[in-house]
Amino acid sequence: MNALVALCHFCELHGPRTLFCTEAVHPPSPSPPQPGSAIPGDRDREADREGEGLTMRANSSATQRADMCEGCRSLPASHPGFVSVDSETGIRYLSHQHPRQPQLFSVVRQACVRSLSCEVCPGREGPIFFGDEQHGFVFSHTFFIKDSLARGFQRWYSIVVVAMDRIYLINSWPFLLRHLRQTIQSLQDTALKVFDNEQCVCPQRAVRMNSAFSPAVFPHQRSGNAARSLTSLTQHSNLWASLHSSFSWLLKACGSRLTEKLLEGAPTEDTLVLIERQTEQEEEMSGWDCAEGGGSNPQPSQSESVQPKDFQFDDGRQEDLLGPKFKSLRHLRQVLGANDFRQLAWHVLMGNQVIWRGADPGLIQSAFNVLKALLPVGCVRAVSYSPHYEEAYRCNFLGLSPDVPIPAHVSSSEFSMLVDVLNVERGCVNPVSDDDILSLYQFNISSANTQPTDKGPTLLNKIEVALSNENLSVEVVSLCLLCLKEEWMNKVKVLFKFSKVDGRGKEDTQKVLALLGATGPGEEDNVRLLKFWMTGLSKLYKSHLMTAVRGGERTLTQ
Amino acid sequence: MPTLLQKLFSKRAVGNDNGNARDCSTAAEQCWASSEFDLAQIRLIVCQECERRGRQVLFDSKAIHKLDASEPTADETKTPPNRSGACHIGSQASEKEKPPTYQYTRPASDVNMLGEMMFGSVSMSYKGSTLKIHHIRSPPQLMVSKVFSTRFGSSTSGSTNMLQDSFESSQTFPSHTSSIGVCRVPSAPLLCLARSASFFAAHSNPVDMPSRGHSEDGDSGIARSASLSSLLATPLPSPGSSFSSGCASSYQRRWLRSQATSLQHGPMPRWNTEEMFSLSDESCSSNPAMIRRKKIAISIIISLPEREEENHNFQEFFFSHFPLFESHMNKLKTAIERAMIVCRRIAESSQRVQVYLCRVMEALGEFRMTVWNLYMAPLISEPVWLSMISQSTERNLLCQRFLKEMSLLMDHGAKSQFLSALLTAVLTHHLAWVPTVMPSSLPPIKTACQKPASQTVDLLAKSHPYNPLWAQLGDLYGALGSPVRVCRTVVVGCRRELVQRVLYILSYFIRCSDLQEHVQPQGQMENPDNPTNPCSSQTTDPTPEKTFPPKPDPLKPTACVIEKALNPESVPGTSVEQNNDTLLTDTKSTNPSSSLESSTVRLECAEMGQECFGEDSDSVGGGLEHILANQSPLLHRVQFHIGSPRETENEGQAGDLSGAGCGRGLDRKLHQRLLTDIRRNESTDSALGDSDDEETSLQELYMATEQKEYELPLPSYHVESRASVNHFGRSLLGGYCPQYMPDFALHGISSDLRLKQCLMSDLEHTVLHPALDEPVAEALCIVADTDRLSVQVVTSQRRVCEGGRLGRDVMVSNLVHTLITSALQLYALNIASDFCVMHLEDRLQELYFKSRSLAEYLRGQTRVHVKELGLALGIESSDIPLLAAVASTHSPFVAQILL
Repeated sequence: MNALVALCHFCELHGPRTLFCTEAVHPPSPSPPQPGSAIPGDRDREADREGEGLTMRANSSATQRADMCEGCRSLPASHPGFVSVDSETGIRYLSHQHPRQPQLFSVVRQACVRSLSCEVCPGREGPIFFGDEQHGFVFSHTFFIKDSLARGFQRWYSIVVVAMDRIYLINSWPFLLRHLRQTIQSLQDTALKVFDNEQCVCPQRAVRMNSAFSPAVFPHQRSGNAARSLTSLTQHSNLWASLHSSFSWLLKACGSRLTEKLLEGAPTEDTLVLIERQTEQEEEMSGWDCAEGGGSNPQPSQSESVQPKDFQFDDGRQEDLLGPKFKSLRHLRQVLGANDFRQLAWHVLMGNQVIWRGADPGLIQSAFNVLKALLPVGCVRAVSYSPHYEEAYRCNFLGLSPDVPIPAHVSSSEFSMLVDVLNVERGCVNPVSDDDILSLYQFNISSANTQPTDKGPTLLNKIEVALSNENLSVEVVSLCLLCLKEEWMNKVKVLFKFSKVDGRGKEDTQKVLALLGATGPGEEDNVRLLKFWMTGLSKLYKSHLMTAVRGGERTLTQ
Repeated sequence: MPTLLQKLFSKRAVGNDNGNARDCSTAAEQCWASSEFDLAQIRLIVCQECERRGRQVLFDSKAIHKLDASEPTADETKTPPNRSGACHIGSQASEKEKPPTYQYTRPASDVNMLGEMMFGSVSMSYKGSTLKIHHIRSPPQLMVSKVFSTRFGSSTSGSTNMLQDSFESSQTFPSHTSSIGVCRVPSAPLLCLARSASFFAAHSNPVDMPSRGHSEDGDSGIARSASLSSLLATPLPSPGSSFSSGCASSYQRRWLRSQATSLQHGPMPRWNTEEMFSLSDESCSSNPAMIRRKKIAISIIISLPEREEENHNFQEFFFSHFPLFESHMNKLKTAIERAMIVCRRIAESSQRVQVYLCRVMEALGEFRMTVWNLYMAPLISEPVWLSMISQSTERNLLCQRFLKEMSLLMDHGAKSQFLSALLTAVLTHHLAWVPTVMPSSLPPIKTACQKPASQTVDLLAKSHPYNPLWAQLGDLYGALGSPVRVCRTVVVGCRRELVQRVLYILSYFIRCSDLQEHVQPQGQMENPDNPTNPCSSQTTDPTPEKTFPPKPDPLKPTACVIEKALNPESVPGTSVEQNNDTLLTDTKSTNPSSSLESSTVRLECAEMGQECFGEDSDSVGGGLEHILANQSPLLHRVQFHIGSPRETENEGQAGDLSGAGCGRGLDRKLHQRLLTDIRRNESTDSALGDSDDEETSLQELYMATEQKEYELPLPSYHVESRASVNHFGRSLLGGYCPQYMPDFALHGISSDLRLKQCLMSDLEHTVLHPALDEPVAEALCIVADTDRLSVQVVTSQRRVCEGGRLGRDVMVSNLVHTLITSALQLYALNIASDFCVMHLEDRLQELYFKSRSLAEYLRGQTRVHVKELGLALGIESSDIPLLAAVASTHSPFVAQILL
């Protein structure tokens, strides 16, 4: 809890005193979302406060030291205090006679004085809440402790809980009252036993009644008696250690008395797929470690299971490669021209194999990076640069060196497209800027596809609008693309549920497509896109839907 | 045959028969009270204390009787409203042709003691307002007091004297002023009384509070508020670079709250510090000398139920709902101020008293009614959202009911797009749904499709506790945006069933976190080994106190403690620590990937690690860590440095830095302050002068922090967790209520008569005295009329509306409309209802993504091209208010651009 607990005493000779104080020191703050949001002007005010905190000490310290008595003291001056550490949260509970933090010194002092000599509690024993914004807020519980030598045979104490959060402190009233009562009861009971014992040995009332009252001697006697400490009143040698434990526990328990269950949105499919791939990859790695003694590097692009890794670390490699690169979809579109870009993007979105063949792996890699953003992560299987052809089921993005032949069944297939990156003939004497890709390369696009690529899918049409509007920054475009992808991913989920999980008929499916806004112009492309993207759903999601089917009896129908 | 909805609403009340046998025939919905709550249980006392005239009672509702020939009972408070009906005092009083006549009789015998409690035995020189709560054992009562300094106008010698004199001349008081029943006590006897009651007080001079005037300069008083800081805060990382965790905005709100209320920052002036009691309606230049002379206290005394259980329940309710009580007390205070100002203009004294009494009684009536309503009003027994997140087993059933009700309502208001309009308004203003759809970037714990609980917020709550009740209240009022706006929704209609249906559906969209309570089990409390019992036999024996260890290296001892806390092996593996491990190896062994998604995941891990350990690689570069490390004792700083692997290498250096450099700098500053402070204080020796300072010097205070404290184990902590009942999610989602109520985040009423009367002033009051305990820029109310099928939004900012209407009609957002349609069509196609609800959530998430694009778009624009938004982003003009509001929860700058 953002609070401190202190035990205070009204000393018959010295007035209200703070005896023992337990504060919770929180670990350095977790980084806020923005460090810049730190409260402005904080530092200056902090300095002021520290000064203030010491004001009261300075007023009085040296001159009043002689006025201390055992009753006003808990730990001896040389005692280092107590600490308990909550290992789970890093919160340290520190106990000393006074708070260590100077700005809290005056706060506690205020609370102590107000609790014992300003505020009025009916019956003198019981709870009060008081406070204001400047001095903090206090829950105080006053109580008597039996003392056979004290005036009226009792001494007056209070336990104060000080916090700045007024609302929380008030909210916690029932809790604090319940537990402080117990602590107080325990102190009182113990002191009462001591009192009874002392009274048996030497009944004070009799002593006092029998001793002659002399005004001259009286103050003298009393000051001697006033010096009893709480330890002696309870005959509890470890009293302060125990109080430390009680107070620390109270602060911890009160702080975690209420917890919130705060939900956040389910992770996106992209996140889930990435996590799945990472897990797979880790398992794979550990497998190799076992088999090969841990030292060897995994062979690249040899089996499907490596591809997730391939996907993830592609980008890192790209940084190492020099030369021109595609920076964004818009850049790619500018270089290729609107028509070629449209074709290329269409093939990517339909799930066709897109092969780039050229001498510059860095350039090809960058093209893939840019194009991958068009697809859900789960739909991307890339082999960024390979010395031989890889089948379409292995990868939908394939980079090849210039001399690799494309098998006939691939080049004649409508489900693939080839981009040949050709070096432009020119003298390589004058160095050209990296940006000027067109001055270096020429791009030939070929595909056996006969279908029109200019009608759909709707997603592509919208992306093109965003890309062509130079008024929109690259960041806006990428967010816009993200929105569109999420929108279509949600449609994919519905279609998956509908056709794969529930196994509905064609008619119903058509209804759902209409409902999803996938019908109309470009419908065919939309449907193809949805079907392709279905393969990119995370395993977790798919298995969840499968098991969530009513009764769990239905099986996959398609 | 009762409809499904009726069953739903009555379920709790019927099922709760064990314990409190309530009559459910009239009230189908549950409410707090298990028994009658009598209005006379609430008493108001106004007192003043001034130097010259001592303490005086200015009002005591117990001493006031209504003189009315037609009503023999003479005291309306004796007739509590009937249970199912509303409490109508306030409106009745104002509607009557002739105001009631009141008689002020002898104040009750306890006013003296109460006055003592209100002001304390020693008056404070602090000039802000002070809050106090007392518990009186017999008869059991709770007393809440606010003590204000007064502010006078320049023209009048303005005071309550005139009023006081009028009281006396009106001869309703007994002429004898003895110690019993004193209304005005001559100063001398009063002082005696005060002394005798507080014989133990060290001094009866006013206690001089150390003033911090200098620090208040240059501080508007609101800088500390969480909301304003969030307004100033730079937005979250741009989406291009990474995805912030889903809970980012909730996290930030809570984090700022924990900082704003942190003790470690010491007390700090806040936005409502300078609250005073105004005795003049002029905006006057207040005379500081006058201010200190007079204080006015307003106390509300609530008699507690006699029965133990009811007493307990009411107290739990009262303390958990205190912000609402306080807000209404502020309203009462304003009314009393007005009454005093107004009555002073009246020359004739008996009339003056009548006007004063009338006005205060009316305000008290209002207060009583509000409290009564809050405690007694019917509630939605099964709010959809809270039920869904708390009971996962019944999820399917809940989804089914919810969708069924929603499609019924959709059909009902199809022509006017009633539901779409209502949801547009609700989603725009009750913004707590936004964090619940912001995608989490952490791996799911259970199933993919269930929303995960936020781990970062959870971690924050543990290490930097804040008030979850406060967070929840903010959620319900939708106070997540920037600038902070609070909103309530009222559904009006004479068809009970229809209104209840609307309420039920809205209880899915108006969201808040669910609260759990962790308490010691009953048996545990009596256990002698209970940690709250310091004198148990088995208390932990610490290191023997006599054997003091040799003066240790200042850095070492804390280091070992911290290392223990940081060593993952000693703390059985939480996922976070494992994350940190992988993080470290990751960054070393592999090239950082620039792929958006994969870097995100790692980034999150890194952040988690840092949050847990509080390590920050750029601690030098300022930021809050830096400030904290500087302002707090060295211990803190030391702890901060060790944990971070980089810093351990230069451990010695770190020690030098903190021990010498920083320490000396601070030290010098402190010395200067000290000198000036001593000089300043020499003349005005404070009453607190003799304080207990046995420690020697400043230097020692600092050095002492480098001592090694004896470490004791934290007592084990056995708690029982249970769903909390006393929280706002349960209390502020009202059912079909007999009357309009100002507190509820959601409720239904049959007639908008009273709503029309009160709404504007309620909204204004909300802005002035928000129950939320942070400044509020605007208060709104959504009024949905199921009879006329209209939805309007009323705001505190626009007073006048065309055609005498309350507010403005809501424009239906196309995105919202398609969202609902799509979910309901899926439901109509007979797709499993929990999938339909998942789809609904997915579509809400789309709104969130769209708001991100809108925010990004606005970042670079000076003018908004609506057509461009439509073409490129699919955002139409009707969607802009909604998306802008959503965007303001994660990108505060949006509000500034759109304003």
